[in-house]
Amino acid sequence: MQYSQRARLFDQIARTGVFLCAMLLIVIILAVIGFISSKAFNVFFEHGGANFKTFFTVDNWDPTGENDPTGNGIPSFGAFGLILGSIVITVVSVLIVIPLAFGTAIFFTEISPRWLASFLKPLIEIFTGVPSVVIGFLGLTVLVPLLGRLVTPFAASWGILPATAGYGWGAAILVLVIMILPTTLSISIDAFRAVPNEVREASLALGSTRWQMMRKAIIPAASTGLGTAVVLGMARAIGETLAVEMVLGGSSLPKNLFSLSVFFQPNVNITAKIAEDFLETSGVSQDAYWTLAFVLLVISFIFICISRYLANRSAY
Amino acid sequence: MNAQSAPSTAFSSEEAQLRWRRQVRLVSRLKRGNAVALSVLWLITVLVTVIFVAIVLNLVWTGLPALLNPSFYGTSDAGIAPELFNTFYILILTELFLFPISLGAAIYLVEYARQGLLTTAIHFAAETLAGVPSIVLGMFGFLVFSSDLHLSFSRLAGALTLLCLNFPIGLRLYEDALGTVPRELREGSLALGATKWRTIRTVVLPSALPGIVTGLILTAGKIIGEAAALLFTMGLFNPANVFTLDPTIASDTLTTRLYYLKGAGAGTTSLTSAQETLVAAGIAAILILLLLLINIAARSIGRVIQRRLTAA
Repeated sequence: MQYSQRARLFDQIARTGVFLCAMLLIVIILAVIGFISSKAFNVFFEHGGANFKTFFTVDNWDPTGENDPTGNGIPSFGAFGLILGSIVITVVSVLIVIPLAFGTAIFFTEISPRWLASFLKPLIEIFTGVPSVVIGFLGLTVLVPLLGRLVTPFAASWGILPATAGYGWGAAILVLVIMILPTTLSISIDAFRAVPNEVREASLALGSTRWQMMRKAIIPAASTGLGTAVVLGMARAIGETLAVEMVLGGSSLPKNLFSLSVFFQPNVNITAKIAEDFLETSGVSQDAYWTLAFVLLVISFIFICISRYLANRSAY
Repeated sequence: MNAQSAPSTAFSSEEAQLRWRRQVRLVSRLKRGNAVALSVLWLITVLVTVIFVAIVLNLVWTGLPALLNPSFYGTSDAGIAPELFNTFYILILTELFLFPISLGAAIYLVEYARQGLLTTAIHFAAETLAGVPSIVLGMFGFLVFSSDLHLSFSRLAGALTLLCLNFPIGLRLYEDALGTVPRELREGSLALGATKWRTIRTVVLPSALPGIVTGLILTAGKIIGEAAALLFTMGLFNPANVFTLDPTIASDTLTTRLYYLKGAGAGTTSLTSAQETLVAAGIAAILILLLLLINIAARSIGRVIQRRLTAA
């Protein structure tokens, strides 16, 4: 009798314990959203703060006012350049990743000889968790000099400094490709794997070639999964920090935005700016960085919602 | 197959000939399209594989001079002994929180919770938290742990931030591990009169052990590789004596040291630029080798435990 009572007590304690662990997850995400959004709008209401409209439309990020041309230290909160930087490098890197990831994934599930698949699989898994500073270091020591040499012949006509040529969006995009390719690739592989074999057999039995089977049967059948792969890749790209920070190397948007040279000179994005300057600020100027964090949080939340929507629509 | 070999005796009309020729053309076009597409896919895959392999080889090769230099493992500015110690310290401290909490949450979701609004909410929370950029979580940790809880820049604040960051990953891995245990085992135990908790403790967890160990190792890899979330919670510098178990001191890790050497603090250390690059290359090589080791371990240890369990 006593034994069973004690057992029931333990059962209750354990049940409560694991329930609290699960609840902690909800508490953490609510705390993240709550704390960051509570600080996000301060900068628009404080004295010497920002204007909501110019925050998103003006390109002049100087919350501490140290670069004020009049010398009076008047801060400026124009985050347009930072937001543009994040959007450009995310979109372009995803556009590069899509053919690489989809091509490799469909090769992996439909064509690959076994030895290549068993070599590729652990490689993808390792790179899914590769530290972002390591890729940033590689970008800084290999990619930046390479791109710099590549554009040196044009440096004079493009008006970029040879000393810093190679830093910027171009290097950041390539670094991001390495960072998000493994994630996108492994989700794409899962999407192709989820397509049942009957779809392949039916398509082949109707006389299609292997490529027709892939193009007309498997890719449409896996399309929602592929969409999820792209969206989660974008979510990762927009939040990627240190790898990008190490190769961007700029403090403001370059002047000549509408030329190819913009990809090869020092530039900015949101995350790099936060990593560099957040700790050196306080008060109103720090509040501006909380607004940037909130922007990132909202963007990533939208991506997660899209990926969830796609996953719910998936046929397989 | 060509037009001459067409069965023209039966259908010798002009029209049939024409149709035959059109079909031959169609088939050869499809074949050509197929061959082109397959070779493009081959090319893409080989390209991706070569890029990945080249990155690993390049990192190890450029790091080799540092790895072979004994002073690299010392405590001077060019040495990484403090960072190695800190990395493993923070790994263990984080796992002390992360392992029981995320395993507990997984047990709740797999064993106790009924499918419903609450489990959907928890899964949605996990996905959302997994999507929060690590730099934003670092700022959150700075605000809550470092400022509001007065932990300032400390190992404890860093470990708590890493808990928030890796909770969703741990949860998914442990959920997968528990999900592989067959229903019949649980039902057998419950039918013998064991309570739910006793069933979990003596039947479910041992059966899921290979998956749990794999999950533990994979989260360890994530913790070792993280840097952005630690910038604002653990700082970039070491106090005079780092070789203590004191969780309230600021410290750097391999990753944040690499970032400091080539990013934030490049040119401000006591090292020359070439030395900075050399040490950074060594750290990058050590990180990639640790990651390789962790992945191999995650694969093989799970299998070894499985064999032990089933053979016993």
